[in-house]
Amino acid sequence: MPDIDNTRLEAVVAELRRTPPLDASFDRRVMRAIRSAAVRPLRLISPLMPMPRWRVWSAFAAVAAGMLAVAVVPSVHSSHAQPVQFVLVAPDAKTVQVVGDFNGWDVSRPAYAAENRGGGVWSLTTPIPPGHHRYAFLVDDSLWVPDPAAPRVADEDFGKPNSALVVEDAP
Amino acid sequence: MDGRSDAVIVQQVLAGDVDAFATLVARYRDSCARYAMHMLGNREDADEVLQDAFVRAYRSLGRCEDPDRFGAWLFRILVNRCRTAGARRARRTRTFVADEGALLTAAEEHPAEQWAWREEIDRALAELRPEQREAFLLKYVEGLGYDEMAELTGVGVSALKMRVMRACDRLRVLLEEVRSA
Amino acid sequence: MRLAWCAAAMLLTASIASAQHTPISRLNKVLDAPTRTAVLAIIDSARVEGLPAEVLVNKALEGAGKQAAGPRIVAAVHKLAGELRSSRDALGPASRDAEITAGAHAIHAGVTQAELTRLRRAGVGRLLTTPLMVLTDLVARGVPPATASTAVVSLERAGLRDADFTAYQRSVRQDIDRGADPAAATTTRARGAELRRGGAPPTRGP
Repeated sequence: MPDIDNTRLEAVVAELRRTPPLDASFDRRVMRAIRSAAVRPLRLISPLMPMPRWRVWSAFAAVAAGMLAVAVVPSVHSSHAQPVQFVLVAPDAKTVQVVGDFNGWDVSRPAYAAENRGGGVWSLTTPIPPGHHRYAFLVDDSLWVPDPAAPRVADEDFGKPNSALVVEDAP
Repeated sequence: MDGRSDAVIVQQVLAGDVDAFATLVARYRDSCARYAMHMLGNREDADEVLQDAFVRAYRSLGRCEDPDRFGAWLFRILVNRCRTAGARRARRTRTFVADEGALLTAAEEHPAEQWAWREEIDRALAELRPEQREAFLLKYVEGLGYDEMAELTGVGVSALKMRVMRACDRLRVLLEEVRSA
Repeated sequence: MRLAWCAAAMLLTASIASAQHTPISRLNKVLDAPTRTAVLAIIDSARVEGLPAEVLVNKALEGAGKQAAGPRIVAAVHKLAGELRSSRDALGPASRDAEITAGAHAIHAGVTQAELTRLRRAGVGRLLTTPLMVLTDLVARGVPPATASTAVVSLERAGLRDADFTAYQRSVRQDIDRGADPAAATTTRARGAELRRGGAPPTRGP
């Protein structure tokens, strides 16, 4: 410390460097604020949130009745398939795909590419057959991301855990 | 210990993995907290400013041009937030509030003499002009070079050297006054 | 007669076309020969036992999609087959495939067979897929399996519907995200959901 030719100032610096850290709850409070900032763009899609007459019980997979007939998916041949909306907020992503049990984890299926709806919100609405399904988002063809708003499966056999979805039979 | 680089974590956060940001918070929280506490003089303001800096960093993460140097970029945001908060606080009150939390912790670890010494330092720091305190803390407590400081603060190297020198001179005087009092 | 032949031919063509798109047919494309042989052997055994073999196919396809090495895929499929077996043993042979699958994920997360059986007894005659999904999620978020299991069993006894279970899961997740202790959030929210539910459990057929 050549600029401080004074041992007293050296001691000052030593004392200042050992300042105790913030309390343990700091990280939790920061992440709470950040998650709340992160979910805000989702409000953009609130008009598409679940409508009572559909029976797709999931906190994350919202049903978009108006978009029902658009997607035709070869492997989803069940006549009881229910339209499910998948949403991921990924402002800087170039592509987002939904990949899971319902499409054989095939990463090359254009029918499961989510659409950029603006504001960093990516969305895909597609019919999913009844049953229990695992799925994840594939971002930019390289990064697997579980649905932050969906139940987790804790099955990280191949890296990150997946998300779960239960689709009931239509009444 | 998480071995992922800052750039990798930034990429994951940008791809939608919000939880990955927690690693960056844990990585830079302590050094940022230290700076904010010394600049603002009390734990509550430092806590608020630091939280604000992290949230701002998250929101503008897409504009972080060099994710490998996320820490330096975050520090720049923090320095700016401390300046704003310091000016606001100066308008609100001129009374220096000691860092009670830090003092209480210090009291558990140190004898009364040490505690008093720490109080002297805090008071002397608070007496410095904000730009001198900023330059002194960045140079000696955070250990930055003058080029890094210039990049961080937007102030020229020669002006920074002058501020550091004046801060040192003033601290010597203030601490000498305490000793002779 | 000619009409019957035409109908049979059409059905055959349709089934072949359909088979080309089935998940199991994709295994041939995406797995190397040794991995495929090992995986198909596990799948075949599972099918003979009456386990939901498609779940194992999907696990292998997930591994291929995520570019996992062959031995890792085989190990994951083998482990899942064991968990499906344990799940069916715990939930009972009459359980639906989706329930057995959800139960296998719960076991994978750390829930015991005894806890699954307790849940089955609490929800006799009702479909447990969603409660099991919620149970797995709670454990995955750091709730001790016994605590999560007790909460979900009590909610099942209280007659919560699937929509109530997903709302409960959402509340607990939000509490945990806000810094709450996972176990405390689980039990506190469960108490609230039970109180809100009140009354006699509704009928919820499988």
